Amino acid sequence: MVFEFVSWILGKKDKPRSKDLAKERLKLVLTHDRVDISPQMFEKLRRDLASACAKYVEIDEAGMNVRFDSQDRTLALVASVPVIGAKRNPYSSKRRGNMG
Amino acid sequence: MNGKVMVVTSGKGGVGKTTAVANIGCALAVRGKKVALVDADIGLRNLDIVLGLENRIVFDIIHAMEGRCRLRQALIRDKRVQTLFLLPAAQSKDKDAIAPDQMKELTGELAGEFDYVILDCPAGIERGFKNAIAGANAAVIITTPEVSAVRDADRIVGLLEAEGIEQPKLVINRLRPDMVKRGDMLDIEDVIDILAIDLVGVVPDDETVITSTNRGEPAVLDGASRAGEAFRRIAARIEGEDVPFLSMEAPSFWGRIKRFLGAAR
Repeated sequence: MVFEFVSWILGKKDKPRSKDLAKERLKLVLTHDRVDISPQMFEKLRRDLASACAKYVEIDEAGMNVRFDSQDRTLALVASVPVIGAKRNPYSSKRRGNMG
Repeated sequence: MNGKVMVVTSGKGGVGKTTAVANIGCALAVRGKKVALVDADIGLRNLDIVLGLENRIVFDIIHAMEGRCRLRQALIRDKRVQTLFLLPAAQSKDKDAIAPDQMKELTGELAGEFDYVILDCPAGIERGFKNAIAGANAAVIITTPEVSAVRDADRIVGLLEAEGIEQPKLVINRLRPDMVKRGDMLDIEDVIDILAIDLVGVVPDDETVITSTNRGEPAVLDGASRAGEAFRRIAARIEGEDVPFLSMEAPSFWGRIKRFLGAAR
């Protein structure tokens, strides 16, 4: 109680500053405005990315995080793909299996 | 003469485009440049009343474009600054009365006689916007430190780029230093960081803009106006001068008194 009063007097707040929220929200929405990609296309991109990665390594698709990021008006596709285990030389092992 | 054709635009309405055009144009004219202000907001004529020239209009931009008068006849000379001229918008027509090609021709003709041709662009990104940017070779984007205005400004940057108008300059209007200090308003760095374009000026939120507009006198002609000082510095930067940015600190008690005394003079 006393602590709260003192922080109130000092003007300290637990709440995040509204300008930080504004900046964060703006950055997110502008990145998507700039990319101009539909949610359907984005989902397709995410799935294709997952299947491309899954060819080489075993991934946790549910834990994937794909997003666009922008800095100085340049866009980047940022993907974080959790790897469960490496497939050792997937193609050659498959081929060997087929041939055998 | 081959003047600069500069469009002042924002996407969002009500952020201060017309006020910026009046003040930047007037400040450039005070510096001795020959300036033509073009109100491209057909059907919503406003630049005339902001400049206090509303009673002098005989012909407008559509008359000039349709050849019903000569361009020179439609230009109104400012009452106070001899090198400042206004080409008023038509009030009774709509935006379809002009095509981008016609606008390009008109601004080209003006650029032959003036150092600066400054276009007051209508809000939005449709026909009126496309008309206003058709003949422009430079752009000033106005925003306020609010999410809606910044988002629209970002859209405008993209559209200007697509039209080949590179490196637009940014004016942040109506900044409130007290709110920035509290962390309740996007600050200058935030807005530059988000939009990633060059800053040409910051104008503080200032009552004198409203009072000077009430009188039909641009704030740059009022020596005591903070916003007027900010616009004078913008004009200097447009002219290529390296001028420090106006201090955006919240005014102190004594600062306020000093300013009050300055304004009362």
